[in-house]
Amino acid sequence: MEVREILDVFRAADPAALKEKYLAEGRKIVLTAPVYTPEEIIHSMGLVPMGVWGADVLLKRSKRYFPAFICSVVQSIVELGMRGTYDGASAIVIPSLCDSLKVVGQNWKYAVPGIPFIPMTYPQNRASEAGRAFTKAGYLRVIRDLEAATGAKFSAQALADSIKIYNEHNALMRRFGREAGKYLSAADRSAVFKSAFFMPKEEHAALVKKLLAALEGEKPLSGPSVVTTGILADSPAILAKLDELGLRIAADDVAAESRQYRTDAPETGDPLDALAAKFAGMGCCSVLLDPEKRRADLIVDSVRETGASGVLALQTEFCDPEEFDYVIIKKACAAAGIPLLAVEVDRQMANFGQAETMLEAFSERLG
Amino acid sequence: MEVRKGSSQDPNSAKYKLNQIAAKAYSDAQAAKERGEKVGWCASNFPVELPETLGIPVCYPENQAAGIAARGQGEKLCSIAEDEGYSNDICAYARISLAYAKIKDEPAQNMPMPDFMLCCNNICSCMTKWYENLSKELDIPLIMIDIPFNPDNEVSRDEIEYVKAQFLEAVRQLEEITGKKWSDERFREVMANSCRTSRAWLEATALAAARPSPFNGFDLLNHMAVMVTARGKPEAAEAMELLAREYRENIENGTSTFRAEEKYRIMFEGIACWPWLRVTSTGLKSRGINMVSTIYADAFGFIYDDFDGMIEAYCKVPNAINLETARDKRVRLCNNIGVDGLLVHTNRSCKLWSGFMPEMSRQIGEACGIPVVSFDGDQADPRNFSEAQYDTRVQGLTEIMASRKAGE
Amino acid sequence: MLTLGIDIGSTTAKCAVLEDGRDFRAVSLRDSGVGTDGPQAAFEGVLAELGVSRRDIDCVCATGYGRAAWQDADLRASELTCHCLGGVYVFPGLRTLIDIGGQDAKVISIDAGGSMAEFVMNDKCAAGTGRFLDVMAALLRCPVDSFAEAAARSKSPASISNTCTVFAESEVISQLAAGAAVEDVIAGVCRSVATRVGSLARRLDMREPVCMSGGVARNAAVREALSEYLQVPVLFDERAQLFGAMGAAIYAAKRKSKE
Repeated sequence: MEVREILDVFRAADPAALKEKYLAEGRKIVLTAPVYTPEEIIHSMGLVPMGVWGADVLLKRSKRYFPAFICSVVQSIVELGMRGTYDGASAIVIPSLCDSLKVVGQNWKYAVPGIPFIPMTYPQNRASEAGRAFTKAGYLRVIRDLEAATGAKFSAQALADSIKIYNEHNALMRRFGREAGKYLSAADRSAVFKSAFFMPKEEHAALVKKLLAALEGEKPLSGPSVVTTGILADSPAILAKLDELGLRIAADDVAAESRQYRTDAPETGDPLDALAAKFAGMGCCSVLLDPEKRRADLIVDSVRETGASGVLALQTEFCDPEEFDYVIIKKACAAAGIPLLAVEVDRQMANFGQAETMLEAFSERLG
Repeated sequence: MEVRKGSSQDPNSAKYKLNQIAAKAYSDAQAAKERGEKVGWCASNFPVELPETLGIPVCYPENQAAGIAARGQGEKLCSIAEDEGYSNDICAYARISLAYAKIKDEPAQNMPMPDFMLCCNNICSCMTKWYENLSKELDIPLIMIDIPFNPDNEVSRDEIEYVKAQFLEAVRQLEEITGKKWSDERFREVMANSCRTSRAWLEATALAAARPSPFNGFDLLNHMAVMVTARGKPEAAEAMELLAREYRENIENGTSTFRAEEKYRIMFEGIACWPWLRVTSTGLKSRGINMVSTIYADAFGFIYDDFDGMIEAYCKVPNAINLETARDKRVRLCNNIGVDGLLVHTNRSCKLWSGFMPEMSRQIGEACGIPVVSFDGDQADPRNFSEAQYDTRVQGLTEIMASRKAGE
Repeated sequence: MLTLGIDIGSTTAKCAVLEDGRDFRAVSLRDSGVGTDGPQAAFEGVLAELGVSRRDIDCVCATGYGRAAWQDADLRASELTCHCLGGVYVFPGLRTLIDIGGQDAKVISIDAGGSMAEFVMNDKCAAGTGRFLDVMAALLRCPVDSFAEAAARSKSPASISNTCTVFAESEVISQLAAGAAVEDVIAGVCRSVATRVGSLARRLDMREPVCMSGGVARNAAVREALSEYLQVPVLFDERAQLFGAMGAAIYAAKRKSKE
């Protein structure tokens, strides 16, 4: 298959159509909310995890539940739930890693009563023995709730198998994250990351593998590149502008992209302990305790490693975890002499004029 | 000059004593700092029993931010943080605190700079980020007690075990940083003081059930400072017990610190609008509305028998609990105290507190059969409040309460 | 060589023609912007003034919100780059430029070589933009052009502190209802814009000299309030509104001479 043909498959991964397909096959769907859900558990129980990160829709019904200053990512998840977009799903797993996610879970129970809410409570002191035990207790609770909501049964062996599948996918996505900037447009890169939330992991992994092989024969793109950081980087208008300006994405620190794939679970020992160990090993993220702010170092390092010209911070409006980190990232970039542009984005954006102007000016500065 | 009994100038009054205790918390910390002791900055719902037992002086940034905002300096400090790159959507307490850490001098409320941070995120995740940034910017250790939001009605054994391990680790870290030693005997004393203070607080606030209430609910916003900063101290327990005594006397004498006819009684939901305290208070008082209940009455009622009980109490603070438990606590307060309406502060600074408030306040209104009205404001940034909107909303609430009373 | 810059903003259209990258030969300004005949009129006006036709122009560079829609452009550049170039042309050695336009407020920090080093723009909120002043002008029934004169008569400027335009409107109404003089409210509104934009400037490593550009720059009350807030002199030139168009013409000349 040619690169273009493979990319067409990723781009065609429409969540609504896939949902209907899974349901028609008699499979059960479990929605997974940002930022980290134990997808491996859902997968191992024969259920289909589908990521819900909201959509660019006008918020109408969800306004009954939220004040205006809660981020539109979580608000649009509830909006879609109320509109019936997720109808047919058996449950939603919502981790409470930020205040807005805590709030979504509570509102969900009343706004979308037809789809059971399963909370995943993670610890912040995650690496200690007590932290790992608490993570494991959280997983056990998710398992109990999933069994009740879907009738599916949990088995440790199946989880061990799923962990292998996920680790393989993680490795491929890490490789893809490095290669994509050399060959692909920002829009194409995003399509590969986004489809991972909807396609079966095994299929997605196989397709990424094919894509990586096909890319080997391609001619690398030239021009300046940036490292992106933020919660989401899937706005079609922003991606189109980056492509128009010829700004490549050399690497990312985006919650919905590479942050998902940085850490693997060990493939030995009790698989639930392994999953807790995976969470313990995670970091450099705005919703995971990071007093040394290693995230800022990671961004600076990835600019240096990839030879990118600057950092593009896509800031989700009202996302305070990211807003706090931004100041530290800004200082780290300034100290390292790295140009940084912050563009505020949200799922309610109708007018991209200012964002486009800023991107143009940034590109003129980098160029 | 004659000093009115019970007024803030009367040195024998609870109000005077409570104000002294609150002020002393700052001066003690300052004196300790000058002696060369290590001083911490501490989150309001961090288990104060730990530093108190160890004899470690701490200051409370939330309390400081409220003080700075109430004295009209909120906008100035918020702007300083915004100049640093902090979004104006971030909690205004955090912005004020981060600005203070930069300028290190604000006459509206100074406090010594910290040698370590004591963070507990049982009231919000925002707290974690705020303390992370302070720890990074000031290059000092962060002691983190993580108490996650509890989606269930009960505190699980798993949670108690997780939090307990962190309490022990925090004690170890504090001993290491300060060189002070933990004493079980001292801990039992502190625990007893804290419970005694909390019991007196709960008793005093519950006296609002009398008609008219023996106090103006805005008093509680003032006295709360002691609950935050000094609940483990015997003088705090004594002052709170005196407060309850004074309120009981008021009931017997038919007097009240609410100096107007109590025509309506409401519950106020949310943190006070500190920069607009007088405006928000006058808007109620001028209409004969007394704020007889707030969740604060409940928030600092830390009553327990042992170490595990203490842990459980910290796992059940108001913003760590699910909608149903939070709702039921308020319904109980409304029913016990007796209120005619609920006024909700949609607080721009607090995503967690305001984020499921529309649904929860609807349910409270239904359960208690009372009108619910909300207004937009902020706990410390004066720019997020509109006096005209507040006045109209309160007028609307008054009219509904009046027509319901007429229909009774 | 003649190069032409056209700056199509939300409420105005401006053109400037530059000869050999050095001297401006003609400029034009029309009080209607994107989606109107203003840009065409400004374009034709500047050509007519010079007595030349489109064919005589070597390169046209479009900037401003309407830049993408202007078909007849050889080049396009963001208004940030253009304002920066225009500002440095008028004030050599300029290090900070504050532009308040109809929709946007931006602060650009300029390096010693005259290139844009960093910039910040207003958030989505209209406070601190020309739009905010227009809303207030309608509310106060006083044209924006008369704001400076009215504010100069103010004895005690009202405090308009709200960050939200809707709230600020109600704040203004409350002030008027409480009997505040219109000129005091106007002075308060001008200060509020200056505070909002000034706080953007503080986010950058602000260096002097500082100048203002854009339509709001003509408002002396805002300029003075900004100068007071930032504690630095804020330079002003009559051509402030034309910096974008002038910068676009300079950008075109630079590109042309590289070829």
